[in-house]
Amino acid sequence: MADRSAFSPENLTANRTLFWIAAVLAALMLAPVLWILGLSLKNNQDLMHGTDAVFRAPYTLKNYADILVNSQVFGWFLNSLIVATGQTLGVLTLCSLAGYAFARLEFPFRRAIFIIVLFGLAVPEQAVIIARHQMFNWVGLHNTHIALMLPGMSSAFGVFLMTQFFNAIPKEIDEAAMLDNTSQFRIFWKVLLPLTLPAQATLGIFTFLLAWNDYWWPLISATKKEMYTLTIGIASTQTNFAQSEGLGFLSAQAIFASLPVVIVYIFFQRHIVTAVSGGAVK
Amino acid sequence: MSAPIEIANITKRYGALTVLEDITLHIEPGEFVVFLGPSGCGKSTLLRMIAGLEAVDGGTISLGGERIDTLPPGKRGVAMVFQSYALYPHMTVAQNMGFGLENLKTPKNEIARRVQSAAETLEIAHLLDRKPAKLSGGQRQRVAIGRAIVKEPQAFLFDEPLSNLDAALRGRTRLELAQLHQRLGATMIFVTHDQVEAMTLADRIVILNDRRIEQMGAPMEIYQRPATKFVAQFVGSPAMCFLPVTGMTDAAQGVTLDVEGAGKIEIDVRLPAGFRRDGASVGIRAEDAKVLDRGQPGIAVGVKVVERLGDRAFIYGTLDNGTEFVVEDSGRSTVASGDVIQIGFDPNALHIFDGDGRAYHHSEEA
Repeated sequence: MADRSAFSPENLTANRTLFWIAAVLAALMLAPVLWILGLSLKNNQDLMHGTDAVFRAPYTLKNYADILVNSQVFGWFLNSLIVATGQTLGVLTLCSLAGYAFARLEFPFRRAIFIIVLFGLAVPEQAVIIARHQMFNWVGLHNTHIALMLPGMSSAFGVFLMTQFFNAIPKEIDEAAMLDNTSQFRIFWKVLLPLTLPAQATLGIFTFLLAWNDYWWPLISATKKEMYTLTIGIASTQTNFAQSEGLGFLSAQAIFASLPVVIVYIFFQRHIVTAVSGGAVK
Repeated sequence: MSAPIEIANITKRYGALTVLEDITLHIEPGEFVVFLGPSGCGKSTLLRMIAGLEAVDGGTISLGGERIDTLPPGKRGVAMVFQSYALYPHMTVAQNMGFGLENLKTPKNEIARRVQSAAETLEIAHLLDRKPAKLSGGQRQRVAIGRAIVKEPQAFLFDEPLSNLDAALRGRTRLELAQLHQRLGATMIFVTHDQVEAMTLADRIVILNDRRIEQMGAPMEIYQRPATKFVAQFVGSPAMCFLPVTGMTDAAQGVTLDVEGAGKIEIDVRLPAGFRRDGASVGIRAEDAKVLDRGQPGIAVGVKVVERLGDRAFIYGTLDNGTEFVVEDSGRSTVASGDVIQIGFDPNALHIFDGDGRAYHHSEEA
């Protein structure tokens, strides 16, 4: 007879199988990253004989040192950082204000306006890109940081997310604050906004990653090399037919470009998981 | 700190639906008034109108002689404790309690003094640095009360504050609220649908039903001399039993009623000339009826269920005509379901209701 006291969910065969499947999938997903990391630590000349050199010593940090002194990557990195941070702050500010207004304030055509905003979710960027390009061209904003940030600040998803989050906060909290002699703005700023931090973190992370990885709009708007973001800059070197900058150096650029995303993920992992699980896990 | 509240001809509508109509009520300074009524009767709406959380469609509300229904909630001089406590989750207990004073630009040392004093009164001084998520339901309740106390309001408003607590804690908190009222001497309005809370806490109960005040009075007055059939059946547990009256003749002392299921009963009561006889009934509470010894003549009741509460038992059954009846017996009652028992009662314990539901009681002058 089996020892019942030894029962534990961890011992279930199904759980062990799931663990190994997850481990294999994780290894598969990690392999390209490790490959690029390996390439970035190799001398460019070694890699010209064959990429299997990645499995043999010696390894070097020269490619990373070259980024800081020789290449324009640092400038592009700075552009990406300015654009992604600015766009994230803009989205958080606008979506929080809009979400609060849709969830809590009474104003004419509130429902209709909210539905119009939601329609924004259904409009693909491709459908408006020419009009947007012409508009920015007309105003003379191309090749500026503002031009790279502005389109991404109108986030229908963000407004929807924040509206839903404000709606989920019990109205009694507002009422208690009203009885505490709190002004409308102070209720928003001191009472409700701090309660939306999980949603802000989720929205902030997604916006930052989206802005950081954006390729299309910077490709159209930033035509001057010094205004390139990382995605455009690195792509421009990869299309160099002679590969004069070398595979190791290109890999080091890619690793360098992905660092902020990895850091954001490490610090805000909990919020990303919450966002992806749709709040199912409390 | 305590002030009278004057509610005059208050009306509340939601579109075409009238929730409260022409409500007039005077509350004395320091009085503990309970709004009691079934769900949807408008008791919470009335409280929220006093707090300023609902607009007034007609009439006025005054506190301490000053009209307040035109003022924003924070300027009315009232504090409210919500059913869900409505604490600010991201603030500590001390910050929760002091937030209102902070908005009033009260000096920091004064805020700290009042918070500490209220916390000691409520025995939550050791919790001041905790956030609401780390508190039990009872502790949250105390914090919510503390948040009201520190503002030193002219009136406290409680919106079903005990309904989220378990039975034992509810009983204890009820007692503490009564003591708090005695200590502060403040005007308090308490909304509940729990008649035990109403009976134990109130100086005066206001029973609301169908948009209006059905009756107001001291708890025992409400219980013993209900003004209407609604009040009679709403207050008291188990509910009062009603028997239809099929005939009525004048007697030397009062009237003789022909009660369905109980025969002819003579009651010493004066009924007015306009008494509506069709639809009239008599009501009797379980404790006013008693189980008779075997062989004694009475009204036969077929027992369905015996509910034993330890010190007493409630016997639920039906009369011969199928009317449901409940009678109280001692805790040592040997009656069992399936038995047929004989019951009796003092006719003068009966309450008479006319066809419009208006109540008449023993020796009451019409």
